[in-house]
Amino acid sequence: MLKIKNLKKNFGKKKVLKGIDLTINDGDIIGIIGPSGCGKSTFLRSLNMLEVPTSGSVILDGDTIDLNDNLNDLRRKIGMVFQQFNLFNNMTVLDNIILAPVKQKLMNKTDATQEAIRLLKKIDLEDKKDNYPRELSGGQRQRIAIIRALIMKPNIMLFDEPTSALDPEMIGEVTKLMREIAKNGMTMVIVSHEMSFIKDFCTRVIFIDDGNIVEEGTPEEIFEHPKDQRVKTFLSKVKDI
Amino acid sequence: MKRIFKLLVIMLSIFLLSGCETETKDKLTMVTEAGFYPYEYYSNGEVVGVDRDIVKRIAEYLDLELEIKDVHFDSIISEVKSGKSDIGAAGISYTEERALEVDFTDNYIVSNQVIIVRNDSLINNIDEVSGKIAVQLGTTADSYLSENYPNIELIRENKFLACIEDLRQSKVDAVVMDEVPAKNIMDNTMRILEEPLFSDSYGMIVAKDNTTLLNAANAVINKMKESGEIDAILLKHLESKEETKEEVKESNNIFVKIYNRFYRSVILDGRYKFIITGFKNTLLIALGAVILGILLGTILALIRNFHDNTNKLKILNKLAKLYIDIIRGTPSTLQLMIIYYIIFGSSEVNMILVGIMAFGINSSAYVAEIIRSGLQSVDKGQIEAGYALSLNYRQVMTYIVFPQAIKNILPSLGNEFITLVKETSIGAYIGIVELTKASDIIASRTYDYFFPLILIAIIYLIITFILSQLVALMEKRLKNA
Repeated sequence: MLKIKNLKKNFGKKKVLKGIDLTINDGDIIGIIGPSGCGKSTFLRSLNMLEVPTSGSVILDGDTIDLNDNLNDLRRKIGMVFQQFNLFNNMTVLDNIILAPVKQKLMNKTDATQEAIRLLKKIDLEDKKDNYPRELSGGQRQRIAIIRALIMKPNIMLFDEPTSALDPEMIGEVTKLMREIAKNGMTMVIVSHEMSFIKDFCTRVIFIDDGNIVEEGTPEEIFEHPKDQRVKTFLSKVKDI
Repeated sequence: MKRIFKLLVIMLSIFLLSGCETETKDKLTMVTEAGFYPYEYYSNGEVVGVDRDIVKRIAEYLDLELEIKDVHFDSIISEVKSGKSDIGAAGISYTEERALEVDFTDNYIVSNQVIIVRNDSLINNIDEVSGKIAVQLGTTADSYLSENYPNIELIRENKFLACIEDLRQSKVDAVVMDEVPAKNIMDNTMRILEEPLFSDSYGMIVAKDNTTLLNAANAVINKMKESGEIDAILLKHLESKEETKEEVKESNNIFVKIYNRFYRSVILDGRYKFIITGFKNTLLIALGAVILGILLGTILALIRNFHDNTNKLKILNKLAKLYIDIIRGTPSTLQLMIIYYIIFGSSEVNMILVGIMAFGINSSAYVAEIIRSGLQSVDKGQIEAGYALSLNYRQVMTYIVFPQAIKNILPSLGNEFITLVKETSIGAYIGIVELTKASDIIASRTYDYFFPLILIAIIYLIITFILSQLVALMEKRLKNA
């Protein structure tokens, strides 16, 4: 369970997050939507301290994340997938996947390699294990980034616009993999502009605007019967496109 | 690569340690610039000349062992002032400015400063000179002309041979220099004007308040002057020059001519030994400085990069930035002299070590900024992905940032090292016999300025070529990074 208490973040004088409270239960699949610049990416990145909050706390399974104390232990339990994939360009696919578990001594190299190959087989990319990231398509890179996070056996996974940088024909392979992971009960928090995917995939949807949570509810509540005018306006604009 | 690096470090430390042997016998250290025939010049790899012969007598008088240091003329007063050398003897003329810094002995030589013009020139005295005059930088001819003829444009060369070369190539109308070496390099393309421009007398210099040495030197000098010994020594050195001159037969054949220049510059008198020593020292200094530059530069770059990313280490970052600004903003010659004369003051120190420190420190500022730009060139997203995977700062740097940064900066780093190799040539200022100094020494004996310069240029070229090949090889290896 991930608990967020009164989370605030300023960039200089600009208040990006104005006090967000949220509880994410195990097995939740939370979609975060909102207009661009509303703070949803900053919020997601605050959960594993890639953005250090100005105030407020993030509590994972009872432990408050502390920048100077247990940060790396807790980051191990929070996987993250980025818009730009962020594979390590100087390493092969296999080395990308096994770097963190081996260096953090979660597994020895043999076990990590075995596990990496098992995961690569699942996504049909075993033959790419010795390739470098630049030799792969965007969809392939993002799927590898996902299993690179998975091999750490996280309790929760964060997805920061995972399909935004993909060509349309590659979105499907990535969302398919995310659905498979969800089937195994993974807790997920997803920032995305793919409204149909959010609506269809998430168990709860959160609408953020101007640094606050404006509305939250089931996909049906948010997409079919939005209460707040800002949500209505946003959804109508999205539908227009 | 790592193994080669380790081996080099070990070799270097052995060399430096072996240079630190302690000496037991008391010495008298004479400092000079051995390129002023017949007062000081090289023969068979040793500094000889009129000045050396006189100082040798002073050393015997004081029962000390004579040691000679060959440095840049500009450094001689600093050498004596700092106590690194006891006595300066380099055909130094008395000036009031110099006398403020050091004490002069009685004159031991009175020399005439003459005007040399091309044979076909119509100039008969200084007032008829309308163009430029070449002088050796920092000599009395330089200061005399600057003071008394401020309207004449002076070309100040490091070597009087370069002045003669300027005259030959009509870059200047006249050269002003000492009569004795002038007569010695005369050929039928030039002539010396009858009337000397002014007369000059040479004394030796010792540190202020070193009266024991001053008195001993004066006693010896005056005795030798009275007995006519100094004139005899001068003649002896002038004659020894004639002997070597005859060994080479002149010819009109171009290949024979080139061979003769090669013979005179390299073979005769074992002069190749200077080139070998110079080559060894240049390589050693460049290598040591590269290693020191990388070590220091990496530390500086890490401090600055850590601060850029986390906003911590504010004071250390400020200091690092100040260091980089100062080192990059001041001439390396000055840095070399500060390290040698001020930081190491009067202590005995291996010259090569001083060279390595000075050039290493200088290089570190450039290397630091190159590495920092390399670290910044690595995609921030990959760094975040590393953190998100629970890696710490050190692991992110080691496995993700450094390998990619090194690949990005290799070309500029290679460039910096090539610059460094060539920059070691200013080591001559404090008397390090590296390649450029070696060529100066040879030219000071052969009066052929170009041949040894071209020779060492080829050696520099070979070193830098090998270096750039090594960098290219590494780039190829890191292609995948």
